Amino acid sequence: MEKKASPLFYAFLILFAFVIMFPFLWVFLSSLKPPSELFGVNAFDPFADNPTLANYKHVFLDHPFLDYLKNSFVVAGVTTAYTVFTASFAAYAIARLQFRGKAIILGLALSVSMFPQIATVAPIFRILLNVGLTNSYLGLIIPYTVITLPLSIWILVTFFRKIPYDLEESAKIDGASLMQTYWRIIFPLAVPGLFTTAILVFIAAWNEFLYAYTINTAPAYRTVPVGISLFQGRFTIPWGGLSAATVVVTVPLVILVLIFQRRIVSGLTSGSVKE
Amino acid sequence: MIAPSLLLILIIAIYPVFQSFYYSLFDLRLNEPTKSSTHLNYELNLYVYLQYEPFLVDGLDKQIKTASAPVKQKLQNVKEELTELDDQIKEDAGEAYQKVYKMFMNYETPSDELSLVEISGETASEFQKTIADLNEKLSTLEAKKTTDDLKQIAELASGLEGAIIEPNFIGLDHYWTTFSNDRTWHALWHTFLFTIISVAAEFLFGFAIALVINKAFFGRGLMRATVLIPWAIPTAVSAMMWSYLYDGQNGIVAKFFETIGIVPDMATLMTTDVGAMFAVILVDVWKTTPFMALLLLAGLQVIPKNLYEAAAIDGASKAKQFFQVTLPLMKSSILVALLFRTLEAFRVFDLVFVLTGGGPGNSTEMISGYSYRVLFSQQNFGLGSALAIIVFLCVALISIIYIKFLGSDLLSDSSKT
Repeated sequence: MEKKASPLFYAFLILFAFVIMFPFLWVFLSSLKPPSELFGVNAFDPFADNPTLANYKHVFLDHPFLDYLKNSFVVAGVTTAYTVFTASFAAYAIARLQFRGKAIILGLALSVSMFPQIATVAPIFRILLNVGLTNSYLGLIIPYTVITLPLSIWILVTFFRKIPYDLEESAKIDGASLMQTYWRIIFPLAVPGLFTTAILVFIAAWNEFLYAYTINTAPAYRTVPVGISLFQGRFTIPWGGLSAATVVVTVPLVILVLIFQRRIVSGLTSGSVKE
Repeated sequence: MIAPSLLLILIIAIYPVFQSFYYSLFDLRLNEPTKSSTHLNYELNLYVYLQYEPFLVDGLDKQIKTASAPVKQKLQNVKEELTELDDQIKEDAGEAYQKVYKMFMNYETPSDELSLVEISGETASEFQKTIADLNEKLSTLEAKKTTDDLKQIAELASGLEGAIIEPNFIGLDHYWTTFSNDRTWHALWHTFLFTIISVAAEFLFGFAIALVINKAFFGRGLMRATVLIPWAIPTAVSAMMWSYLYDGQNGIVAKFFETIGIVPDMATLMTTDVGAMFAVILVDVWKTTPFMALLLLAGLQVIPKNLYEAAAIDGASKAKQFFQVTLPLMKSSILVALLFRTLEAFRVFDLVFVLTGGGPGNSTEMISGYSYRVLFSQQNFGLGSALAIIVFLCVALISIIYIKFLGSDLLSDSSKT
């Protein structure tokens, strides 16, 4: 199967990449168009005759778009830190310690990751409402840590199992406690795995829509996906502003994916594909 | 060490599902004060009760002093009934009665927990009878001579009615209403259609792509990144982006489809039933095919190469190699990929919610979206929860079927150390 790639193969690849990327390219080109070229006869010209940054200005000056970005960053950031911290303990225990009910815990984590969010959103909403956490960062961070925990535990368990056991054993012989072993020996070795998990958790939290839409309804606490979905005028959708907003959200993620693609792929596959 | 994770999962993920099921057994509506929480038994709101009862007794006393003999007797009777009831309630409520009374006198508002006391169905019906009795007597009085005092008493009496909360437990009624409602069946049908078509298309395209790119080539990393981008962008954002591409006047994709003749004109995509469903499925396929390809590629790459060499020596054709070597060895990665995608497609929410809003005319309304609308737009938590539980059960059923196919592969892998 390992043949040299032919020119036809590269042609296929380029076509495939083009189909995938086309929507982004088009939206990017549209974001540079003035309104007169977005609508009507010029709507289908790929390049703007009079490129402008007015759409970007409009997004940042007339919409609380910076707030949305800030909210998403805070929520996704805290979720990532907390989830990775908690999941690493759980995964380490599952990977290394002997205790009853291990398979049940892993099975439980797996089934929780399959729960439809719609089945949990109503009670979570009422609980958060009762304790006064709707329209706050914490109100999103708590449910987000839970939806991202199961996958994180799975990925990290796979990862911890690959770390050679000898190191820990010698640490134990030297009289290190469980926690000391974890922090001194395992943690430094696990950094790449933790990092992979962190990226996946961050993307998941950044993308979540249903909870964000339900729990944080106040404009000041909207996250990016919610903010963009509500990005419409009264009668028309401002395509120019919308495409500019899309570009602003997409570019950081594209960079993230470009830099860390190898880690993301390994995380995704170790979480779901058997080795 | 697992405790923190486990605790979180139990509290925030598993408990709410039970809670949803519990809600689904009640006629729970957030926009109606007497139905805004779950009540298994008859309850009395002491706070509301105390806002009216003492004043009603005072008013009756005044009337009794001034009224003529036959009327006096009637009112006296009602007053006695009321006092009797009050004693009964004091007994039932215990300390809470005094506490709420004190708070009321100090102009404080007690919490719901404190002011709601359970009363027996008997007391409740006695209560309602007494008030009805009183109202009847007052209305006959009123017919003779209307005074402000009498009006006030009538108002106080009707205010007391609001203090009684009837139980809103209705058992499985919501499930029956749900299943006798066409809208549920339509939503379920749309969800199945969407799930089956998108997952099938994603799998076929994904597998084909995985087979093609399963070789060493220049620019592999870049390719991988390209493939990951649609997956990494928030669904709501890509739905918004596609709604621009699908736009009936300025959408380039709509224009393209019109040009190559898939749709008769650009507006068809978002304004007809079939067009909208096609549009939604296309976005899902665009968004997740690459991801599917990636998962399958990972499975392909762990197949030992020498198996193919051996098969080739035995004279197996490429096609035979595929069916005899590739497919059997890929079984578990294929099933895992399909399982995850099926579950995700079945609970689809944001894509449809943002792109079509379930329209046109509910033609793309999925079961999650329907549930959401009943829960939060109609504020009917009981019925909405019943729908949500139906989604949950379908998802559980799908997983069980897949796991039957997978055997115990998935979990046995985890228990080996």
